[in-house]
This record gives sequence, structure tokens and C-alpha cells, in this order.
Amino acid sequence: MDLKDGYLTTTVDAVVNWARSNSLMPMPMGLACCAIEMMAFAGPKYDVARFGSEAMRFSPRQADLMIVAGWCSFKMAHAIRRVWDQMADPKWCIAMGACASSGGMHRCYGVVQGIDNFLPVDVYIPGCPPRPEAVIHALMDIQEKIRNDYSIVQDYEEGAQHLAVAPAAPTVLTPDGGTVIAPDVLYNQSE
Amino acid sequence: MHETLKFHFTPVDTPQPDQANPHAKASTEVAGVVEALRGEFGEAILDLMVYAGEHTVYVEKKRIADVCAFLKDQQGFAYLVDLGGADRFTDEDRFEVFYNLVNIDAGKRLRLKVRVDEDDLHVPSVTPLFRAANWNERECYDMLGVIFDGHPDLRRMYMPEDFEYYPQRKEFPLLGIPGSLPLPPQTPEGDLTMDPFAAAHGSKPVKSFEEPPSEFSDENSEI
Repeated sequence: MDLKDGYLTTTVDAVVNWARSNSLMPMPMGLACCAIEMMAFAGPKYDVARFGSEAMRFSPRQADLMIVAGWCSFKMAHAIRRVWDQMADPKWCIAMGACASSGGMHRCYGVVQGIDNFLPVDVYIPGCPPRPEAVIHALMDIQEKIRNDYSIVQDYEEGAQHLAVAPAAPTVLTPDGGTVIAPDVLYNQSE
Repeated sequence: MHETLKFHFTPVDTPQPDQANPHAKASTEVAGVVEALRGEFGEAILDLMVYAGEHTVYVEKKRIADVCAFLKDQQGFAYLVDLGGADRFTDEDRFEVFYNLVNIDAGKRLRLKVRVDEDDLHVPSVTPLFRAANWNERECYDMLGVIFDGHPDLRRMYMPEDFEYYPQRKEFPLLGIPGSLPLPPQTPEGDLTMDPFAAAHGSKPVKSFEEPPSEFSDENSEI
């Protein structure tokens, strides 16, 4: 390698988590009026493309974030669980709105009293319906969770789960050695 | 320059007990049709109720399809707007099925009602007459258990097909009967969740990487 080109050192964890968290593809499970706010969340005004999540995927095989927006009936729950099981690992789930989180105002025999009765929910959004900013906030919480979660380099099946390596600040090496160049530009620090 | 604020009060109708309802519409006055029905069916027209200018005709249960056919073919009531049921929770004639009909040419509305006893839940279907009645009768069957004889496809409308209860009946608890509506399994190959409040009782669905290994995955196949 020609050292004059320069190179970055980091950890695989940090790079993979950075890539994952900035390219979440939501599966819009729109069940009721919350789906309207979810459309606004994806639309040009609130513009979730800033967070890399503008590509809504209606195929579960291509999605890694399920946004359950709206009340979920017992009949629909089986379809939702089926879609969730078809999504590839790793995957995350947002319960959007009061109904998806707790059944909301639908306290009756036909509506599931919170989708966490059958789905592992990562982030709950309150509101009826929540504003698009709240959905963006939930997405940012998911990103934060991904950045602090395991990654492909961590063997999560054996051994206790430990915290992932903190996102590394890049250190740029010069051909002479470990002199950090332009730290103010790179990560806003001055030596 | 000042602008004088004007307040507009909502007018209140003074009670007029001896006069007709001021909000009644002429479209619901169908006395002529009721007379024709009485002349045609006689005793099968059980009662006539007039409230707020709306005519509601109570019909004998066994003749409802004939009455609807007469109204459709000879009186021009070709449009079935709505059909539904109610649980009156009385000892006799517990359920009620209503039929809202419209004569579009004459601009007239008519409501028919049928009382159904709990011991004999069969009502002649009007779906052969009005195709619009198909899903409404299915809904009424789903929610109240009224059976419409002659319906081409009397299945449940909203609830799962193996559901055993009629949820709009008054004795049905609001939050349902635990175990009657299963939730999906907590893991892909697990058993159905029979507890509708599993999360409140301590169940926590596992993340996908904590799920048990699949029996059907390639990793465990012995090929």
C-alpha cells in the first residue's frame, strides 16, 4: 500500500454500526391513521432521507425496521408476526402511537392491547397520532441503540453480551508515523 | 377605526309539543307506502311507529323477504342503504334487524324492522333481492348470531372463522373472553399465545437473535 494516500484505523464494530444505523430501511406496517403521519415522516417536509431511511420497503426481506403504525386487531396480529419473522436479522421494531403501544382508546375484545404482547418492541412512541418529529425522534433512538449494540464481530451466542466498542474517532496516520493530522477538521478537536 | 363586533347566537327552538317536529324531512313521510303495505300483507304488518316524522314499519319475521320484494318491485324502493342488528336484551324478541330502504326516484325513505327471538334466530335473507345486503347480513350474523336463511355465503365478517362467540351481544364482556382469540407465537416456531395480556403477565418477546434455533434451518439439517 502506498502510505502517501493515507489511511484510517477504526474497528469493524464501529464501521458496521455506522453503516447500519444510517441506512435503516423501514417496513411501513400502516394499520390506521398513524400511517398518515408516517407518510409525512417520509415525505419532503420532514424528510427522513436525512437519516438514510427514506427507502420504505414493502417487502419484509428488504427491510430491517418495522414501524407498526396504528391499532392492531387479533386477526391482523398473525400477519404482522409473519412479516416480522420474514425480516432478515438484525431487525428493530417501533410501536407508533398509543394504539400500537397499549391498545390506546380501543380497550375492547378485538384489538391487541399493545403489540409487545407478541413482538419485541424497541421504541414506543406516544401520541394519537404522534407528530412526524416524534417518529424521527424514535428513529434516532433506534440509531443510538444500533450504535451501542452488538455487531457482526461480536459473538452473541456464546459468552456474556458486552457493550460494543465505542465509535472510534478516526486517527489519520501520516507516512512518518502516528501524527494526527487536521484533528480540528476530522473530529472537531484541537491538539 | 373601530369595527363593531357582531355576536351571532344560535337560535333555540321553542318547544312545540302539539306540532310536528320542525326537523322532520318530507322524504321520510311515506304514509301512502305504509297503506299499500297494509293492504298487501294485512296482519304481517305488525306495527307502525312514527318518531320525528320517520316511519318505521314492524314486519312479521317470516314475511320480511316478501315485503322487501313488494317494496322493490312495486313501490320503487330499489336501494337498500343499510341493514343491521341490535341486541335489546329483553326476555322476548331479544334481537332486532333493521332495513333502511330508499326510493331514489320518489326521494323517499322507509325503515323496516324485524324482531327476532333468541330461541329462533332464523330470518329470511334479502340478499337474493338486494346484493348490497350480503356483507351487512354477514356482519349481523358475526356480531349477534342472527342466521339469515337463504344467504349465499353466511360466514363471519370480522372475527376469525373459528371464533365461538357473538361479541355484540350484551352478555359478552367488553375485553373479550381470554383464550378465545389467540395471539401469534412469541417465537417463529413456538405455540400460539393464548393469554391476551401476555405482556402484563410478565411475558417478554425475545429479540430475533435470542430465538431458539430453528428446526427447519439449513444449519441443523443433516444433508
